Parts: sequence; C-alpha cells; structure tokens
Amino acid sequence: MSGIHHFVPVLHRGDAVGRHTLRLRDATRARGFRSDIYVDTVDAETEGETVPVLDYPAAAEQGDVVVYQFATASAMAPWLARRAETLVVNYHNITPPDLMAPWDNHLALGQLRAQGDLHLLAPRTALAVADSAFNEAHLAGSGFAATAVIAPSAALDAAVTAAARSARPTSPRPAGRGARWLAVGRVSPNKALESTVAALAVARAHRDPGATLQIIGKPATESYVASLQRYVAELGLAEAVTFAGHAGDATLAAAYGSADVLVVTSEHEGFCVPVVEAMSAGLPVVAFDQGAVPEVLGDAGVLVSDKDPYALAASISDLLADEPRRAALSEAGRRRLAELDLPTAADRFVSLLVPLAQGGAGRP
Amino acid sequence: MSAALPPTGDADHAGGDSHDGPPGSEDQARAARALREAFARLAPQGSDAWNFLAAFTHLGDRYGPYHPGASALSDTVGTEERAGARRPGRLDRLRPGKDRAVRGPEGEKTEFEEAMGQVVEAFRFLSARVATLEARLAAEDRPVEGAAWLVPARELGGLVAPVCAHVLARTPGGDVVHADCGEGGLLQALTGAGVAAHGVEPRGALALSAIERGSSVTIGEASEYLAGRAPDSLGGMVLNGVVDRLPLHALLPLLALSRRALAHDAPLVIVSETEAVTGAREPAALDLVDGRPLHAATWELLLGRAGFVEVAPLAGVGLGDGRFALVAATPS
Repeated sequence: MSGIHHFVPVLHRGDAVGRHTLRLRDATRARGFRSDIYVDTVDAETEGETVPVLDYPAAAEQGDVVVYQFATASAMAPWLARRAETLVVNYHNITPPDLMAPWDNHLALGQLRAQGDLHLLAPRTALAVADSAFNEAHLAGSGFAATAVIAPSAALDAAVTAAARSARPTSPRPAGRGARWLAVGRVSPNKALESTVAALAVARAHRDPGATLQIIGKPATESYVASLQRYVAELGLAEAVTFAGHAGDATLAAAYGSADVLVVTSEHEGFCVPVVEAMSAGLPVVAFDQGAVPEVLGDAGVLVSDKDPYALAASISDLLADEPRRAALSEAGRRRLAELDLPTAADRFVSLLVPLAQGGAGRP
Repeated sequence: MSAALPPTGDADHAGGDSHDGPPGSEDQARAARALREAFARLAPQGSDAWNFLAAFTHLGDRYGPYHPGASALSDTVGTEERAGARRPGRLDRLRPGKDRAVRGPEGEKTEFEEAMGQVVEAFRFLSARVATLEARLAAEDRPVEGAAWLVPARELGGLVAPVCAHVLARTPGGDVVHADCGEGGLLQALTGAGVAAHGVEPRGALALSAIERGSSVTIGEASEYLAGRAPDSLGGMVLNGVVDRLPLHALLPLLALSRRALAHDAPLVIVSETEAVTGAREPAALDLVDGRPLHAATWELLLGRAGFVEVAPLAGVGLGDGRFALVAATPS
C-alpha cells in the first residue's frame, strides 16, 4: 500500500500547526497507511516523531501522497514541487507582507517568499485544503484548481478549554470591578493590537474607568512590541495593560477563565484559534469584521465593522452590560463549535487523501 | 464631565474646564484619527515602507543562494531550479527587459551575472549593517527620559487668560502651538479669539479629552511635532509641562526647534514650575536628570522596561548603610 506522508519545515509540539500535523499523521496511520512526518529542520523536542526530509527519496514509493503543511516560506516548497508524488497542500495562511513591512522587513520578506512558494506549488498540487473559506479564496486566487475547507484539527486543546470553562464565574461581574479584556495571539502588526489599546483608552475615559487588558502571546517582532508598549504608556494605560508574553496551558486557561471578553482587532486572520478557544470557554467575543473571523465566529460574538475605537469601546461596554445577551452568545458559541466539529477534523482530512492515494493521481 | 484618566497626577486636572455629555461624532472621528497617527509615528525609523534592507535582501535572494544555510534542503536546490522558480517581486517593476539574467551557454555565467555576484555581496554586507542599526533603533527606549507619563500634568488654569492675551497681542499670524496642552484650556481660549491654535500632548488620555472638546491636538512629543513643521511657520508657541520634565540636554534641542519653527517676531511663552513643585515629584521622575544616584523605584522601572522580570529587593539586605540592592531576571 502506498503511503500518505506529512511534510512540515519544522515540527513544534507547542504550536497549532505542529499539533495538527501530529494528529493528521495519527489519523492517517489509523486508516492503515504508512505515514511519517518529514522535516527540514529537526526540533530536538520532536526528533523522535520526525524523519529528515532528505531521507524521503530513499523511502518513497509509487503512489505516495505527500501533504505539505504550508504556513511559511521554506526550501521544502520548491523541493516538493519538483517531485513526482501526488501533492496536497494544507494551507494555514500567509500574512500579507505589507502589514509587516513597516515593522520588520525580514519577516515581511519571508512572507513575500511564501507568496512565491504558493504560486510555485499551485500548478503541481492535486488538492489544496484550507483552514477556512477565507483561506480557500486566497488559494483560488493563487491558482489552485482543486480546493476544500476543513478547520484545523488542533484548534482546540481540550484540557485548556475545560479548565477555562470550570474557572469561569457563574455569577455576573461584581459592580464596581472594571471589565477584564483579553487579547490572545502573537503580538504582531497584523493583529493590530493598537486598535484594542486605543479602544481601551476610550472605554476607560467614558464608560469603564477600571477596565483592563491582558495581552497573551509571543512577540513576533520586537519593534512592534516596543512601540505598542510605548503607546500604552503614552495613553496612560501602563497600569491597565499587561503583556503576559507566551503563556503555557495553565496560564491560558486561567486567562480565559477570568476574562470578561475576548477582543480581536486583527487586520488579517486565516482562522483565529483564540476565537474558538473563547467560544469553548464560554467567553464572549467582540471582533473586527476582518479575514476569517466572521466565518469562524458565526453568530456567536459581536462583529464590529467600524474600526473606530469609540465604536469598539461601545460594542464591548454594551455587551458586558447586557447579561442575557452574553448568555445567548455563550450558547451560540457552543452551537458554532459543534458545527465546526473539530474532533473529527483530522479524520475528515484523511478521508480526502485516501482516494488520492488509492487513485494514484500523481503529478497533475 | 468626561472621566478621562490622565496617566499621573489626576488631581492636578481639577482646574480643567468641564464638558458635558459624550463627544460629537466629528470630534470622535478626529480623536480616532489622532490615536491612529499617534501609533503610526512609532513605527521604526527607516521601516515605513519596503526600505533599503528589503531591497538588499531581495536582491540577495534573487541573484544569490536561496536561503543560505537555513535548511538541509537549501544546498540541494540547484541554481537552475532557482532560476526557474524565481519569485516575482516589486523589483521586477524596475526591470526593463523580461529577464536581464539570461544565462549564457550551458553552465556559464553571463557578464551581468558575474557583476551581480559582486553587487550582491556588497548588498549582503549593507543588509547586515542596516539590520543592526534598525535593531538598535528598535531597542532604544527613548520615551523614558523625561517621559510625560512619569510626571503629573498641570493645566494652565488661571494662567490661560494672561498667556492668551500675550499671544494675541504679539502673534504675527499663523498657527499658535501649545506644547503639553493638557485638556486644551488655552487652545479653546485662543480659538475663541480667532487664532488657529494647535496642541501637542503626549499623554493620550488628556489629548483625547482636548480633541473631544473640539481642539486640534496631535498626540506626541513637542520635539517630534516641531521637527515636522516648516521653518518660520508658527505664529506663536507656548511651552509648559514639557520644560519641567525634559532634562537639560533635551531642552536645548527643543528650544532650537522652536526657534526654527517660529516666524519672525512670534512670541514664545514658557510656563515652568517652581522647585517646590518639581521637588515633590515621584522618585522615578526626579531621577531622570543627570548626576545623582537613582532611586530603587527608578531601577525597578528601568529594569522592567529593559525586559527584565521578577524585579525585587534583594532579600536580607536592609537600608542600614544607605544602600539598597535589587534583583532581576531575564524572562523564561
């Protein structure tokens, strides 16, 4: 029987793409296929789970399907494009370079290269699977002919969200206590956290003097983080905004459990895992109507189309003052999660691969 | 009254004018724009677009190795494949022909490629230098020294009328700028008298309050603002607050910038605090001048802003001999 193998530039156990790749590998093996994870750079923590990519040519067999996890530029892309196996691209989105360029040209160039990789792979790809319809549209625009949408299988960590849900208070926020805003994700220019900060300044000035914001996430580029911290200070919010950095599962669960609202002001999101985590934790979401966020959130949160900080602050304050509405959104979040059906995502993904392996589509 | 929260010295704003109800949509739109501009100005210098560094790196990738040393696969990607997989980029627009790097006979480099090899090496060197400089710029913590958010702000209060009268009497015309304008009492008085008045206020919460009350205000530092003004373009300037918080070596350039921006015969007004008032500042604000040991609170602040965590007094060390000891750590 031919194999279905997974290729990722580097396998990190802690990130969403890494966890997703491991789940896909396990689901593939569960269907009886040979399946390994090939990497270009070996991570010591996951070394036992991976095989160096240069070992693949010796192990390749007729009829193999290779699945490339595409989230960044990599020498893997041109290398896979030249090979004869049936190629499947699992696309996790590329942030538009222009959003990063004012802050970090090196990162922006990486994104530019990734865009080039995408165009290079398009004519060679038998099937491209996107995290969201938003990403699928990007794939179509990049020349991919056959596409499908399946949510990322590792978007939810059950332990984190269960802990967060159990930590959430069952009673309304005590009168007099400022609202606790939460932002989760890489601290990166495309996340436009300055919009959240500006809205917090407005909210504290007019509606909720005690409102605070916790920002959880790994810095993508120091220049952006430094500017954001200066902006916070200049707006007089130094004691109201916390930069928590990268958080482990327990910290993340505690944050979802104690926050009053998740605020998402991203300019560009290919999926937005924190929205799913918040829905799972029963935390209301207020987000800009951008990228894949409206698609993932559905009717389980408040979408703000006007990027004015006054509009955002008003939306958040109005929601937090409306307990029945919050409860309704929490319930809608549960329904939306059921629709996304994340627990079966890996198996559904593999179901798309099986016909390719058995049919031996090969190079298109 | 708006519940604007200045970063420090809240009580010092008791003299500010009150305004009722939420700001109008026009004032909100101006405030939103000021907030956006206040953040945009913080983008690293030299990185406001695809800059030289981008061009250097792009050329390096285009004509040099794909990802030198970045992956096990890089070395296996041959030159011909790279040429075939060449990435489209902005620099393509600068290329008059379809492809200048046309290859010569089998395996031979064209004269153009030979030349580009040298140029690429130079670009790589420049790229590394620019990256270092940009990293240095990004790492600088310019706002700490004399930062507005460290010290209380005081509205002009009773001084509005005499300052306004002086400016009105002396201005030759043109914009009048009030640095550290607070909630904009002077701006309102000047505007009410028919003068085009513009405020500069680094404390965003105060600036928002002034904008929401109809004043024209830039969120930022006076020196940054003045650097962007044309020479001889201002009809007057009032400096208060900023003159009490900046150290001497920063005040001198500020005065030079003011001199440059002011039109001939335009008035400059400086309103300063007495020692009795500045002496009552927080230790961290007091320390940000030259020539004295820093307070423990200031070290905590500086260490925190330098990225250290777990800043705390060293256990077991008291203040018996007049010294203190702090510990800190790098983040995990």
